[in-house]
Amino acid sequence: MSKSKIKLKKIEDNLYELDVRGMVCPFPQILITKALENLAEKDILEVFIDNPPSVRDIPPALERKGYNTDLVKIDKINSKFVIQSR
Amino acid sequence: MTNFDPNDIEHYLGRYSLGRDSNPTNITDSLHFLRVKVPGGFITSDQFRGVADLVKKYSKGKAEITDRQDIQLHWIDSEDALDVFAVMEDLGFTTDMCGQGFGGARYGDARNVICCPASGIEKDEIINGRKIVKELTDFLVGNQDFLDMPKKFKFSVSGCGSDCVRGITNDLAYVGVKKGDEVGYTLFIGGSAGSTQPGPRLAKRLNVFIKPEEAFDVGIAMIEIHRDHSNRDMKTKARFKWLVNEWGSEKIKKMVEEKLGKPFEPYTEPAFFKNSNHEGIQQQSQEGRFYFNIPIFGGRLSNEDMLFFAEIADNYGSGELRLTPTQNIIIPDIENSDEARIKLEKQNFKFDGPKLKWSSIGCSSDFCGKTIQPHVKQMVRYVVNHLINSFNIDVLDESGIIIQANGCPNHCCASSLAEIGLSGMIAKIAGEKTQLYNIVLGGGVGPEAKLGRVIERGIPHYQIVEKIDSIIENYLKNKKDAEKFRDFCNRHSEEDLKNYLLKN
Repeated sequence: MSKSKIKLKKIEDNLYELDVRGMVCPFPQILITKALENLAEKDILEVFIDNPPSVRDIPPALERKGYNTDLVKIDKINSKFVIQSR
Repeated sequence: MTNFDPNDIEHYLGRYSLGRDSNPTNITDSLHFLRVKVPGGFITSDQFRGVADLVKKYSKGKAEITDRQDIQLHWIDSEDALDVFAVMEDLGFTTDMCGQGFGGARYGDARNVICCPASGIEKDEIINGRKIVKELTDFLVGNQDFLDMPKKFKFSVSGCGSDCVRGITNDLAYVGVKKGDEVGYTLFIGGSAGSTQPGPRLAKRLNVFIKPEEAFDVGIAMIEIHRDHSNRDMKTKARFKWLVNEWGSEKIKKMVEEKLGKPFEPYTEPAFFKNSNHEGIQQQSQEGRFYFNIPIFGGRLSNEDMLFFAEIADNYGSGELRLTPTQNIIIPDIENSDEARIKLEKQNFKFDGPKLKWSSIGCSSDFCGKTIQPHVKQMVRYVVNHLINSFNIDVLDESGIIIQANGCPNHCCASSLAEIGLSGMIAKIAGEKTQLYNIVLGGGVGPEAKLGRVIERGIPHYQIVEKIDSIIENYLKNKKDAEKFRDFCNRHSEEDLKNYLLKN
């Protein structure tokens, strides 16, 4: 059982949520990769993120690994990735 | 689902990060850099070997010493980061937090605390600053209370009578002084060479004297004021210099006194009495021992160089090395200095030449993607080598000239704080993208610290050397007695200096 404050939350069937706000590179990318390794093929992962360099760099990195990432701008600071297997 | 366990990741949060190299004009293929904080630049030969192994394995065998006494590695793959952090933790190192990429004025951390690289070995030293470097570092690294400041905060410590750490550009500079028979520190606050508001600022002197045992509490009081009162509305106003400028240094001094519960002792004697970057080979305060300041030139070295220096430190010194704020490496405690010198010179690390060979610095603009060829470090090397070949060593040393260059207005190598500064920009000339530099003259640190003035803007790189030759020749022709180059520049108007930059 993880004692970590970082949680991969199950929102509903096939939909999970991860919050990496406030984290600097490389932690958002490492956590997202780790979370995806734990999900099934049809699962969707939503990630809340606010670090602009990670927002720029992570979608192409996930693309190379076979994931589609939609970027949703929440406000001036915060964004959301919606990630699923291709 | 799920065995998602981020404990191994969380362990590193707040103490480790990677910075971003991947700007549009960066052609190095490096996406991330790792800035290894080496507090005060003090490092053992075993630690240095450990970093050299990381350099070999993850950074194409190349490293650089920064002007904040860090070791910077490029080409770090984010997927290797946890392995790299694990090795660093074993070695006893952490990194900068590189929070400036976030939107808004937040996630600022305390940067590597820098220190005189000749601490404890310099003849006539006033105070060895090593203790306060360790106290501040131990308290602040990974401390959640200081990881979300409006912007970064920089401490410096010097105790040798010179401003060899460019304390004048730091948020809080401890400067070793003597008051009667007592040694301690006087303080400077709110310095920064960068262009964020209110622009480049020399740190303001607080005319105070603090005892060494008070230094830690004063430092924490100061960084708390930055954390709690610096501007969080705008990123460009979020450095401590903005608060010092808005409030005035007296108000900040009073606030620190309130936090400490007692008034400061006054101190108005000079803070600095010489200019030194501890160049060359120098006799130590310890009889029969020498320190070797090895000129690295821009701080770039290979993992093989690192192993070689570690071996010299073990075989001829005490197994210790120091990284300098002028991007070089000092090996202290060398007793058999002739043999050590021969060994180093055989590998082409030579100790002849003018002081500017040790004192001139340049930033890593090629990795930031802010310059095109010639990048800043190339430019500094080219200019310094040209001056060495064109002028007599004594002339250069007597002039006090050093070169500091940076590729963008962030001024991380403080082009405004050298006798000759170069600040880069790119523009098209006849349809071709060309590297240009502003020429900044008359700046410098030490007893007569001054911000230099931009005298010429946007000069193509291929005209820089000719202009520098011209102004040095005019200086030699027109200087008054033993007048230093900095004083000569500051005695003349911008118009005069512009004319002096033209070949007669």
